[in-house]
Order: sequence, then C-alpha cells, then structure tokens
Amino acid sequence: MIEFKGVSKTYPGMDTPVVRDLSFTIEDGEICVLVGPSGCGKTTSMRMINRLIEPTEGEILIDGQDNTSMSGTQLRRKIGYAIQQTGLFPHRTIADNIGTVPGLLGWDKARISSRADELLDLVGLPPDQYRDRYPAELSGGQQQRVGVARALAADPPVMLMDEPFGAVDPITRDRLQNEFLHIQENIKKTIVFVTHDIDEGIKMGNKIAILKEGGILAQYDTPENILVNPASEFVQSFVGGDRVLKRLSLTRVGDVDLEPANGHGDALPRINAEWTLRDALSEIIGAGADRGLVVTDGESNGGPRGAITLDSIRKISHGARAPRG
Amino acid sequence: MDSADDPPTSILAFLFQAEFASEEQQQKGFIDWEWLGENFTEDVVPALLQHIFLCAVSLAIALAISLPLGILAARYRGLYGPLTAITGFFYTIPSFAMFVFLLAIGFSVGVTPAIITLVLYSLLILIRNVVTGLDSVPPETKDAARGMGLTDRQILWRVEIPLALPVIVAGMRIAVVTVIGIAVIASYIGGGGLGNLIFSGITRNFPTLYVTGAVLATLLAISADLLFVRTERFLSPWTRARGAR
Repeated sequence: MIEFKGVSKTYPGMDTPVVRDLSFTIEDGEICVLVGPSGCGKTTSMRMINRLIEPTEGEILIDGQDNTSMSGTQLRRKIGYAIQQTGLFPHRTIADNIGTVPGLLGWDKARISSRADELLDLVGLPPDQYRDRYPAELSGGQQQRVGVARALAADPPVMLMDEPFGAVDPITRDRLQNEFLHIQENIKKTIVFVTHDIDEGIKMGNKIAILKEGGILAQYDTPENILVNPASEFVQSFVGGDRVLKRLSLTRVGDVDLEPANGHGDALPRINAEWTLRDALSEIIGAGADRGLVVTDGESNGGPRGAITLDSIRKISHGARAPRG
Repeated sequence: MDSADDPPTSILAFLFQAEFASEEQQQKGFIDWEWLGENFTEDVVPALLQHIFLCAVSLAIALAISLPLGILAARYRGLYGPLTAITGFFYTIPSFAMFVFLLAIGFSVGVTPAIITLVLYSLLILIRNVVTGLDSVPPETKDAARGMGLTDRQILWRVEIPLALPVIVAGMRIAVVTVIGIAVIASYIGGGGLGNLIFSGITRNFPTLYVTGAVLATLLAISADLLFVRTERFLSPWTRARGAR
C-alpha cells in the first residue's frame, strides 16, 4: 500500500508548485495510473515515491512506513523502476541488465542468471537467444520487454513505470500492454503507472488518478466511475467525447451474456471472444449487420459460442454494469 | 661535410658525436646496414625503449590528472571553461619554447622536464575527451541506474566511465601520437629516446642514424595507435553490437 499524505513539490525559484497537496492511497496488488496533460506533475509524483525527487511537503508511506526511513539507494533497490526510453545499459548484455538490482542486493551469480532466464521467459524472449545480446541488437519492443523484466528482477512488491510502453508503435504497444496485464494477474504487484494517454490509463488501471496542471488531483477512481461520473468539466474533456465507447473498451465480449447463435448464416461477422465490446461494435457496424458470431481465439473453425447483438451492446453502454474482463 | 667542425647543437648531440665518431668513417652507402647490425642492440634498442618509457610514463601521468579533472568538469560545468583555457594555453606553446621555459624556470636538463612537457601537451586532449565522453552517456541510462538504486559512485564506475570509454580512448590515441612526436624533440633537453638518434645523425651527417630514428618513431606511433584501437574494441564489445539488427 502506498499512501500520499499532503504531498507537495515546489522547485526552488518557482512560485507555483508542480504537485499540490496530493493525498490518495494505492491498494496492494493494484495498478494505479497517473494520467494528465504535460506539466501536471504525474512523473514528479511517481519519482517522489522512490525519492528520485524529494517532496517539499507531506509524506509518502509504503506499507505504513515513511519512505524517508531508509536511504534513497536502499529504498530504490526495493522498488522496480521502468521508464519509457528503457534506460537499458548499452554496455551490458541483456542478462546483466536484468541482473542489475539482484547484483546490488548481493545475490550469488547462479541465482542471478537463473532469475534472468526466468524473467526472459516471462516477457516472451527465449533466454538462449537473447541472454547474451546487447540492447542495441534488440528492437524497440524487445528492449521495453527487457526494461520490464529488469524492473521485476528482485521481485519488488512495488513497481514504478513511467510510460513503459511509450516508445513503440501502436500495435506493439497494444501487445505489450496485454502481455503485461496477463503477467500482472499472476504477480499482483502494486504498480504506479504514468502515462499521458487516457486510453492506456483506462486499459491498464485498476484505479486512475487524473492530475491537472499545477499538480492538482482532479479525480481518483476506477476507470468505470471516471467514465460514467466525471468529477469535473476538466475530467470530462480530458477523457474525451467518446467516453461511452471507452467504457465499452473495458469489457471483453467473452464476459457478457451472449444470445444463442441459431439460424444465422456465414454472412455474419466473426467476433473474437477476447475482443472488447468496442472492437465488436466496430466490426458489426462495419459489416452492416446487427449482430456478430462470437468465436473463441484459435478455434475460429469450430462452432460459435453465441451471438452478440447491437442491442445488447447498447444496453451495456447505458449503464447496466458489465463485469470487467 | 666534416661534422667535427660544426658547433654542437645540443649537449647530447655533442656527446653522441664523440661516441660515434669512429664508426662514421666506415660509412658505406646511404644506409650503413653493417653499422646498424652491429649497433642495433647497443644503441638503437635502448633509444627505442627509452622513447616508449618516456611516452608511457607521460601518458599515464596525464591520464591520472585528466580523469579526475574531466569527471569534476563534467559534474561542475563551471570548471570546464577555465580548465580548457589553461590546458589550451599549454597546448598552443610551441614544444621547443616549452622546453626553454622549463629550463628558464630552473629545471635542469634531463628526463623530468621532458615528461612535464609531454604531460602538459596531453592534458587538453584528454580532459576534453573525458568530458565529451561523459556527456555522451544517455541521461535516461543514468536515470535508470539511479532509479534502480545504484549509488553515485557506482553510476560513475559501472555506467558512465564504461560508456565514455570509446571517446576517452579516442582522446588517448590522439594524445599518444602527439606525445611520441614531441618526445623526439625532447631529446634536446636530455629526454633521450629516438630523438638522440635523429639529431646526432643529422648533426654528423650520418643518414643511417637519423633514418633509423625517424622510421622507428613512425612505426612506434602507428603501433601505439593500433594498440589503442584494439584495446578499445576489447574493452567495449558492445559498440560493435550497435545497429547489428
């Protein structure tokens, strides 16, 4: 659990604070997304947790303990850290990069190397192939996977991620996001995730903290509640005019009640159960149909699981609470 | 031309002149291979070894001074201007004038003023390359290092210096070639080395001697340069990985 208690940051020589009286609590095992326009202090807020930046006022508690109760370097070794430009060490191999924090913590070599292999497997890079390469030999997406693996290396309970999937193309980013959410289901870290992209925030966050210029917390809630009940005009305009659609993107087709798929031919669009309702809506409208057949990933030749109709999607968009995928 | 009638241009040339005076008479052709064969281990090799010693010691001292100063200048930007101004001033003094100044302020002829001169000439190149090298380390790499809990000292030695190494070594290559060249002139103030062969050869109009000195000085500069290229590759295998994919 991470608690911000009246945290403010004013840089010397500046009149206005970049973060103002920030108080909120991040629960264990949750991804808390800090999102907002540039200059809203989201990165500053994140960097105050591991004291890369020291707050001017207030305190930050990690599991009830003031984060100033130990030295900055000791604290940072216990907190995973991944950033947009990855910051991988160009002169160290992939395995050495991942082994950085375990090395600082004094693990023995065999344990570090087996941990590196384990993590490479976890992020989908075969260790045999990647262990001894240098970062420059990897694509941007692969480097970001290594960045995440490195942050996870010493199995820290808390992770800070500053636009960790920011520097790659949208398709790769989408894949990395999905893979990371999948990993998070198992590892249940407490994650502070900074992004400027509200869509990424809605997708990744259990909770979203929307900050506005001057470092003021505009709203802190679940993605659903922020989309349904924006707390202010600022939040409303920040989440955008398509918040109904964004809400649909929170739910996967496979998680809603489907209608029986009887009596319909091949003309209907095929909807993957892994897709979000938003994708399904787009596919159905695009095909000029009023419903689509839901199939399971990898078994598109098998029988459909059911049908999803425009009507049912409309009902969900109108507030009937759908389970989150 | 009978060299015995010429006024000696330096004390050492004079000494050499006396030493080699007897062999000179037997000179056959432009290069006297026979003389070279007989005197190689006795005169040529010691001169070469002394040249290497002079340059290696100077470069080591220059690096020991430049590395900390460069690190400080990279941290505290205000130092960089004055440092390059002072070392730049040393660099512009003609080498011969530098020797004269050192003798004028009380140094006696010998190896010491030679080494001091060679060190002063290397400082500008080395400090500038240390600072440029440290500046070239990506800020996000340093941020990640700090964010993972490396101390400032660990960041310096494990991240910044290794990443700056190719640029620092590039500076050492320029410095070593410069130093090997200037060390030839240093024989005038008693530095010894290959300059002794060259200057006494010229003074006594004995081509075998000055050609040998000049060829060895050139070969030494080329091999030192190659050695540094190799060392840099060995120490920075990752630079070859860049863009390999």
